[in-house]
Amino acid sequence: MSASVLVPSVVSPVVVSLYLPAVFTAILAALIGLLAISNQKNDLHTLILTDIVGISMLILVAAVGTDLAESLILPGLVVELAEIMAISEILMSREMRKLGKTVDLIPLPLSMNMEILETAPTFIAILLIAYGAFLTGFTGGAVAGGGILFYVLSKMSRGVPNNTWEGVAGVSGIAWCLWLVGFLVFFIAPSYWVLALFLAAFGVFIKVTFKAGLIGVMGREEFKREKE
Amino acid sequence: MLNVYIWFYTGAFLVVIGSIGTAIGPGVKDPLIRTLNTEIPAIGVSLIFLTYNHTIALITFIAATAIISMILLRAIVRLEEMGAEL
Repeated sequence: MSASVLVPSVVSPVVVSLYLPAVFTAILAALIGLLAISNQKNDLHTLILTDIVGISMLILVAAVGTDLAESLILPGLVVELAEIMAISEILMSREMRKLGKTVDLIPLPLSMNMEILETAPTFIAILLIAYGAFLTGFTGGAVAGGGILFYVLSKMSRGVPNNTWEGVAGVSGIAWCLWLVGFLVFFIAPSYWVLALFLAAFGVFIKVTFKAGLIGVMGREEFKREKE
Repeated sequence: MLNVYIWFYTGAFLVVIGSIGTAIGPGVKDPLIRTLNTEIPAIGVSLIFLTYNHTIALITFIAATAIISMILLRAIVRLEEMGAEL
């Protein structure tokens, strides 16, 4: 293979031999998705097909097969998630304006007014946040964020305090600064690498956890409308 | 010893078949069926990540896929309740 000139000898031969098939699979799947999008009139169908193109492009990143590829997949996933969430919100609010009707923020067939929703969410959220704090980093943030999201969603039928979200967004920004300071310390004072490591790990943990705040800020207007 | 290539090529096959199924498969005029069809390429991508030993990427991908399908289903149900044409 002519590409082997560029590949360092430490790369495993399995990864090298799988590189071309992986790239072809990714491009083929993405082309199928894009062709289907170009034939599509309805916006919702286009959104669903965007998902296909997004995940097939992840194969292209994964095909490099190194730790760098793995760490680049994570932001790719988060960006895709945020993009789909934002576009679906835009679609729904546009249709709402067009038709002049409002529907529930989260459509549930049942009335979720049960005793277990009083007590269980707090316990499960604390458990998930404690485990996330133990893990730290990106994965811990995802686990703890899942805990917060679960808490918010199960308390929603009773109304979430609106001004909490301002604080959550603020803490998220401070945590982002911690993360940046951690990286700066790595370069300015490499002898304090343990401090830098912990700043970065806990900064990104709190940051990813309070990504749930984004959903809260997004839904705030609708919460207000429902409760008053 | 298990052959690594089996997992990779199964994943690649599922990705391509799943993409075709999502694009032109039977019954995809219904957005619900189209959303469920996107799970097949997601499983294929998971198998490819498994081949490359991308553990954290695999775990995050599984969680993200579940959340993405929840978002899409919520959008579908809300639009349907509004009476928009799908």
